[in-house]
Amino acid sequence: MAIKNSTGRRNMTVQKRKTFVLCIMSVVLLLLLGVRVGYLMIFCSEHYTALATDLHERERDIKAARGRIIDSTGTVLADNKTVCTISVIHSQIKEPDKVIDMLCRELGLSEEYVRKRVEKYSARERIKSNVDKEIGDKIRNYDMAGVKVDEDYKRYYPYDDLASKVLGFTGGDNQGIIGLEVTYEKYLTGKKGQILTLTDAKGIELDGMGERRKEPEAGKDLYISLDVNIQRYATQLAKQAYETKQAAGVSIIVMNVNNGEILAMVDVPEFHLNEPYTLIDEFQVQREDSQESTQDLLNKMWRNGCINDTYEPGSTFKTITAAAGLESGAVRLEDNFSCPGYIIVDDRKIRCHKVAGHGAEDFTHAVMNSCNPVFIMVGLRIGVERYYEYFTKFGLKQKTGIDLPGEAGTIMHQLDKIGEVELATISFGQSFQITPVRLMTTVAGLINGGKLVTPHFGVKAVNADGTSVDEFVYPTSEGIVSSDTTDKLRYVLEQVVENGGGKNGYVEGFRIGGKTATSQTLPRGSGRYIASFLGFAPADDPKVMALAIIDTPQGMYYGGQIAAPVVRQLFENILPYLEEIDYK
Amino acid sequence: MVRQPVKFRSSKHNMDYVLLTVVLFLVGFGLLMIYSVSSYDAGMDHGDSAFFLKNQAQNTVVGFVALFIMIKFPYKTLQRFDVLAIVVSAILIVLVKSPIGITRNGASRWINVGITTFQPAEVAKIGVIIYLSSIIQRLESLGKNVIRTPKGLAIVLVPPVFLAVLVYELTNNLSSAVIILGIAVAMLFVAVPDYKWFFASGAAVLAAVVAIVSYVSNADTSGSTFRLARIAAWLNPEAYSTDQAFQTLQALYAIGSGGIWGKGLGQSMQKRGFLPEAQNDMIFSIICEELGLFGALAIILLFVVLIWSCMIIANKAVDRFGALLVVGVMAHYAIQVILNIAVVTNTIPNTGITLPFISYGGTSTLFLLTEIGIVLNVSKSCR
Repeated sequence: MAIKNSTGRRNMTVQKRKTFVLCIMSVVLLLLLGVRVGYLMIFCSEHYTALATDLHERERDIKAARGRIIDSTGTVLADNKTVCTISVIHSQIKEPDKVIDMLCRELGLSEEYVRKRVEKYSARERIKSNVDKEIGDKIRNYDMAGVKVDEDYKRYYPYDDLASKVLGFTGGDNQGIIGLEVTYEKYLTGKKGQILTLTDAKGIELDGMGERRKEPEAGKDLYISLDVNIQRYATQLAKQAYETKQAAGVSIIVMNVNNGEILAMVDVPEFHLNEPYTLIDEFQVQREDSQESTQDLLNKMWRNGCINDTYEPGSTFKTITAAAGLESGAVRLEDNFSCPGYIIVDDRKIRCHKVAGHGAEDFTHAVMNSCNPVFIMVGLRIGVERYYEYFTKFGLKQKTGIDLPGEAGTIMHQLDKIGEVELATISFGQSFQITPVRLMTTVAGLINGGKLVTPHFGVKAVNADGTSVDEFVYPTSEGIVSSDTTDKLRYVLEQVVENGGGKNGYVEGFRIGGKTATSQTLPRGSGRYIASFLGFAPADDPKVMALAIIDTPQGMYYGGQIAAPVVRQLFENILPYLEEIDYK
Repeated sequence: MVRQPVKFRSSKHNMDYVLLTVVLFLVGFGLLMIYSVSSYDAGMDHGDSAFFLKNQAQNTVVGFVALFIMIKFPYKTLQRFDVLAIVVSAILIVLVKSPIGITRNGASRWINVGITTFQPAEVAKIGVIIYLSSIIQRLESLGKNVIRTPKGLAIVLVPPVFLAVLVYELTNNLSSAVIILGIAVAMLFVAVPDYKWFFASGAAVLAAVVAIVSYVSNADTSGSTFRLARIAAWLNPEAYSTDQAFQTLQALYAIGSGGIWGKGLGQSMQKRGFLPEAQNDMIFSIICEELGLFGALAIILLFVVLIWSCMIIANKAVDRFGALLVVGVMAHYAIQVILNIAVVTNTIPNTGITLPFISYGGTSTLFLLTEIGIVLNVSKSCR
């Protein structure tokens, strides 16, 4: 018994010690786990908090207000309108039938459509966007649980169809689709903001947990050189010509000769910027007549003929031949020519527009008369290579670099394909194609003293609080012609308006220079013409230039008869106006 | 003023109120956390945000009834239940495969006893504690080192291993099997004077673990079993974020986003559907998220106090049987707490182990409190 007891006692002592060891091991392990927890909660906290926050938050974008487009007079041409997006949150809806009924009534949607969305089990279901603010406010005032009204911005063009092809419009995400809206996208578009809401695992927003907002940053306002008054007047004249001449289209461009700023660019028919996807009547008729898809017709409707399309400039191009001739010394103003009414180049007989011929005339009068044989002779005197050199030097082979998307390139013969016949036709503006804005830009360079400018609208972009201004700088190249040639050109072109074929472009009290053109469109003999007039003022120190192009007029089609009066009327109004605002 | 010497546990018949206080606090805190953790999901799924709280409160009441019965019930009587404890446990485990067995989430771990459902594995844990306490005491009384004879070893080792295998095979519950074996090893460690065998086998287990882990970390686990995949997920949870490591990663999000001060009671985001059934095994991660590092460390310290109290009672018990009972219970708590927190913090691969007194669960609450009752009973007769 005694032995047993002593063994038992000894074992008890060992057992106590080992119990203690077991306990200490457990406690040590627990404390190590405490350290592990501490490590996770202090050193990994940032990492896991970021991951968890990412998991818990649902983002909703807040659209940024797009920058406005403002003309040189300070008039807003493209603005933002507050519109509403109506959506429903399934889990928060208490009276689905009332909600469906109310939404159908206010939004004019079918019950089936609304019911499907209201009853769909989703975190947030959009019912309709771009709802007018008044309707949105009305829906908000019903104060029905589960119906959410979010405000955002929609582009709004106060003048609707004014300068539609210049300004362009924006799409569903407020991104530019055509026009300046595309070119200046990165300035106009703001930075989206975000509403970060805490949600549970099913995406249901948690009440009372607050939300974080990242405020949107509005886009920069774009200031452009376009002058709304000139644009409106030019549009009015273009529409008048378009209607009275039943033309296919009328384009008018008004440009500052010395820096390339465009004051107006009209290409009638214009479309409605606030409803850019609605075909205007002219195209609606085509849609009914032809097989063309609506999208093709929309693309046609949105085309800006001033820059997207090329044409044979015709006689206005004689300015360039004259400049090349005078600059190269191939012709002088007082050189005498004789026009029998035609000229034979190689074995081709090319007629003058005056069948009886202009008879004996000096070069000045040849320009005034727009005499084809004389210009062909001058062209031939310059020669193919030299002519091509000037063509290149005057920038005619390149795009102007205008700040509108989709500028068309020049369609010109290759140098080795130009024979005498080709040169002859080029000399009076046929057998190649350029855009109207290309013609204008080159002529501007010839009469402003030889400075080839970049035509443009964008002047500067300014942020909402005016603290950041981006001024746009455009490349120019000097010395494409000598000032002597410029002076002579100004003189002869003024003569054209004073006494020659452009006399319908004369404005009393102002010195106007200009050149008319009447070009037959391809294919020849179709009886379709393009009438145009290029005018500038003042003739001795040009500041502003206007080009009017009437595409396929009915009846009278001579540029001097129908296009020159358009420019005259334009100048009659805008020249006093420009003097008044002390235009540079 | 005459300074009175402070007397602690001076009375022979005073039970350990420190332990009781810690347990009451843990149980109360557990109920609070179960409500906090489960109310959001319960409100959505059961239409009653207190659904889990009410169930757990019922379980707790039943558990305290058992606790008070055990305080009154002389523990020495348990000594007679040695073989019975193993037989009853084994029968109950086998019953999960009978018609009254219940299969949830693909695992047959419950039996239906009419008024409630029941996890036999929990019975097996207390069964092993009673059996080993009783049998070691009896073997020792036969003479010195009887336990180290082959026959003695067989008597102490075979029944616990048998129960563990049964639990693993029939209920596919590795964690309960590990706990049963762990309790047995801990009790034998205490009962046998040797160290070397335990450290040798400990080292062997460790080596095996290292071998498996290095195999898994180098092998392609795409076609492997679900346990191997869990190990792979443990090594790199963010690569398995959508399947095996989903729960672990969500728990880590909760712990990590709690930070030092926590988000405040009731403010957990992870419990809002991100961490599924957060009131069960993963409740500790929500404690971390809501109460921060200080709350988490406070809970760990409470468990340290609990285990320490058990050790004190075990070493003051008047007989070996009582001491061994308390050691078994202590080992049970220690193993579960350590494994649970290790799983939640991704210190070891994910396996389902509840946090004693705090996690939701009827059977475990009942038996954990019963065990406390036994320990308190032992403490009453302490020296």
